[in-house]
Amino acid sequence: MLQTSPAAPQSAELPKPILQLVGIRKTFGAFTAVENIDLDVREGEFLTIVGPSGSGKTTLLRMLAGMDTPSEGNITLHGQLINDVPPNKRPTCLVFQSLALFPHKSVGENIAFPLKVKGVDPAARKARALELMRVVRLPESYFDKNVMKCSGGERQRVALARALAYDPEVLFFDEPLSAIDYKLKKTLEKELKDLHRETGKTFIYITHSLEEAMVMSDRIGVMRAGRIVQIGTPEEIYGAPVDRFVCEFVGEVNTLKVTRGPDGAWQGVDVPGTFTLAPPRSGADLKEAFVVVRPEFMRILGPGESADNRLEGVVYNEYSLGSRIQYQVRVGAKVMLVELSRGRALPASADRKVTLGWDAADAFTLES
Amino acid sequence: MADLAIAPAREAAPESTAQLRHARMLSVGARCALPVALLLGIGFLAPLVAIFGYAFATPRSFDVFTSFTLANFATLFDTTNTVWLSFFWSCGLALLTVAILAVIAYPIAYGLNLVFGRWSALISVFFVFPLFVSENVRLYGWVLFFIKNGVLDGTLKWLGLSGGPEVLYTPGITLFGMVYTYLPFMLFPMTLGLALVPRDLVDAARDLGAGRLFIWREIELPLAMPGILIGMLLTFVLAIGATAEAKILGGQSIIVISHDIEIAFTYSQNWPLGSALAVLVTFFIGALTLFALSKLDLDRMLGRR
Amino acid sequence: MGHRRTNAAIWTWTLFVLVAIYLPIVCGALASFNKSRYFGFPIKTYSTEWWQKTLDSIEIGMIVKTSISIALLVTVFSVVIATFGALAFARYEWKGRRFYQKLILLPIFFPQPVLGLAMLLGFNAVGIQTSWMTAVFAHMIWIVPVVTLVIAIQVYGFDPSLEEAAYDLGCSRTQVFREVTLPLLWPGIWSGMLFAFLLSWSNFPLSLYTTGADSTIPEWLYAKMVAGYTPMVPALGTMATLGAAGLLLAGGLIGLLLRRRAAA
Repeated sequence: MLQTSPAAPQSAELPKPILQLVGIRKTFGAFTAVENIDLDVREGEFLTIVGPSGSGKTTLLRMLAGMDTPSEGNITLHGQLINDVPPNKRPTCLVFQSLALFPHKSVGENIAFPLKVKGVDPAARKARALELMRVVRLPESYFDKNVMKCSGGERQRVALARALAYDPEVLFFDEPLSAIDYKLKKTLEKELKDLHRETGKTFIYITHSLEEAMVMSDRIGVMRAGRIVQIGTPEEIYGAPVDRFVCEFVGEVNTLKVTRGPDGAWQGVDVPGTFTLAPPRSGADLKEAFVVVRPEFMRILGPGESADNRLEGVVYNEYSLGSRIQYQVRVGAKVMLVELSRGRALPASADRKVTLGWDAADAFTLES
Repeated sequence: MADLAIAPAREAAPESTAQLRHARMLSVGARCALPVALLLGIGFLAPLVAIFGYAFATPRSFDVFTSFTLANFATLFDTTNTVWLSFFWSCGLALLTVAILAVIAYPIAYGLNLVFGRWSALISVFFVFPLFVSENVRLYGWVLFFIKNGVLDGTLKWLGLSGGPEVLYTPGITLFGMVYTYLPFMLFPMTLGLALVPRDLVDAARDLGAGRLFIWREIELPLAMPGILIGMLLTFVLAIGATAEAKILGGQSIIVISHDIEIAFTYSQNWPLGSALAVLVTFFIGALTLFALSKLDLDRMLGRR
Repeated sequence: MGHRRTNAAIWTWTLFVLVAIYLPIVCGALASFNKSRYFGFPIKTYSTEWWQKTLDSIEIGMIVKTSISIALLVTVFSVVIATFGALAFARYEWKGRRFYQKLILLPIFFPQPVLGLAMLLGFNAVGIQTSWMTAVFAHMIWIVPVVTLVIAIQVYGFDPSLEEAAYDLGCSRTQVFREVTLPLLWPGIWSGMLFAFLLSWSNFPLSLYTTGADSTIPEWLYAKMVAGYTPMVPALGTMATLGAAGLLLAGGLIGLLLRRRAAA
């Protein structure tokens, strides 16, 4: 019964937007939670909005789900204005952070709830609920189980099945995996991605974890202080961040502030030396810039090895990251991070003098 | 291997703490509960035992624990005895009080939780305060309001109308008085009960397409039920034992069961008969209360998750 | 929007009920300022004569003193017992806790007139002469459970790891109680004290059977309502109400300060 449509086509022609946001603002008294957001959500895509807490992502989601109304701007679904349409009249459904399972109802009754609302007869409700339990990989015997007796992962699946029972066109997720331990989270992330493929529905997911977003999403929007600062594929977010905020959101980075010297060469501000930089993406002629190098692109140069940029430093600490090792290297007053695969680990690293190096093409030159 | 080595130690742990507790005789919790338990043991359970003793004493005597007879109960179960009428009046009035209060208090409890916002605390205080004014004073205020040439009657006549209705000293006004007196006892448990309904669940139900009535029936009401039931039980029990309303407002147009008990103790000086009656009332109320309380999780109601 | 209309209806209903709740209290106040002995409305001549007479009465002075003495003693004893009772109710996990939680509710779920009579019998059975001191005990049977619940609510919001941290930092059991537990529970204990005093102050059914020859304000008022009405009845009733209101207001303000200081 799942209305499966083909997964998002890979052709150059983008699917038409299902949900459009134009100039959305939301204020609570003097506080602006969401500031002027324009966004096209394509039909069938998995879009994730990431941002730190307080960035306005939950407020944005609540407006999309109909639990808040925007102070300004328009939300349209299939071209129809839905700003004031209440949540029970929207073909959208939210999976809550708390999951919001009804504690006085069994697993089956929870899943069948939207069907009961629609007035579906009990036998058909049960059949459909059992079908959905199969889809989310819950055993049939759980039908009469008390939801409060289910484990975290099982509850997750119940919430998902309940949302699917509503048969929404767009599903929203408000950090549903935030309270789940790491291993189970990884499993559920992948299952969710599978489910997205299988159902072909549009998923809009909110999280503060970019790692989670990278695994599942077709596109990621990064929010900060009520605005979307960058939106793009996971590769774009990782490979071409627009500013230091997005860079740092992806993970730990090395940042150096640089200025143009009198001869036009880039001079370090916190560390001495001149640097070779790739031109900024905007192409602007900058007086000041930030160089951002990810730890995995920072190298430790052996004798005779060359790189566009070099720094001399002393190893201060090492951390095991499992398959990789991270080194903290002191360069003057600054601490730089280098990550090496375990096979290339430095022997007797403590207090060892090293030369760090990176190529201009592996770093980002950013205005802010 | 390491697991095997640890396992016996783990099993031993609870046993050793149990021994520790036994060595200290009473846990900290039990020691804290001791003063309250003693107080209620002496002040609440012992008098009930005394009543029980008197109930089997020779009628019109004070020979507690020295005589044994069922004569008092025989008198009560005599079909010509009017105590049954009193009992039915009390039950009927109490049931009506509960029903009316549930309707009156629900919107207020809802408002205190979801509508009044920062005014909630102040409004709660206004509803609590009457508890600190003796019910005599408040009920007598209604007498002054409804009496001939009282506030209502006088105002209507002053406006040139024919004057107020004569409602005082009727069963109806007794019911009115009970509803009035016991409102806080319904309102506050109900408010606590409604506070137990997570707003997320209501939002989720709405999101899944449910309308207001459907959400109320399927989500809000069942989840608030523990609080509502406590309110209903409390008001029912208190209304069964109420006397002031029937005496002050009802002018003894009906005799309620507690009044019968009082009469036995005071005018007719028949303590054993009054005790027998009190024992019946106590059993009735006790059975109801214990049954209802056994179903409650007080930690969840009062704040512990 | 329908939502707004519902909210307006709820506000209106609540305010209507509040007006109804305070209407008889206002009626009593009006009657106390009536110059003539028998009440009639609209009042022809207002006068403070009955208030003056009430204030001057030696009999009423003694009754007020009895009421205050009972309420003060009830407050002190109840709060001490109930503070420990609340810790047992909400803080500690112990074997009989569930049972104890239910036991404590029983006196609340019991008609007070019957409870008062039962205690009269009990006192009689063991040969204790009833007086205002027995009334203190009788009031406590009902008030200690109420105050325990009031304080328990504060205890639920109290993080036990704070006590553990204090132990860990070398405090003795009494030091922990004095330095950590008590200050954090103060707002709840304060509310409990207000409840204890005011509930004792206004109690009628328990006092009726347990004060013996002594008399409290509600008892005196009842006796005069039944036989011998003068405007001194509503006058004293209104005074008692105003006293309670004043105490609640002062207590509430102090409580607010306590809470603010605890939060700061």
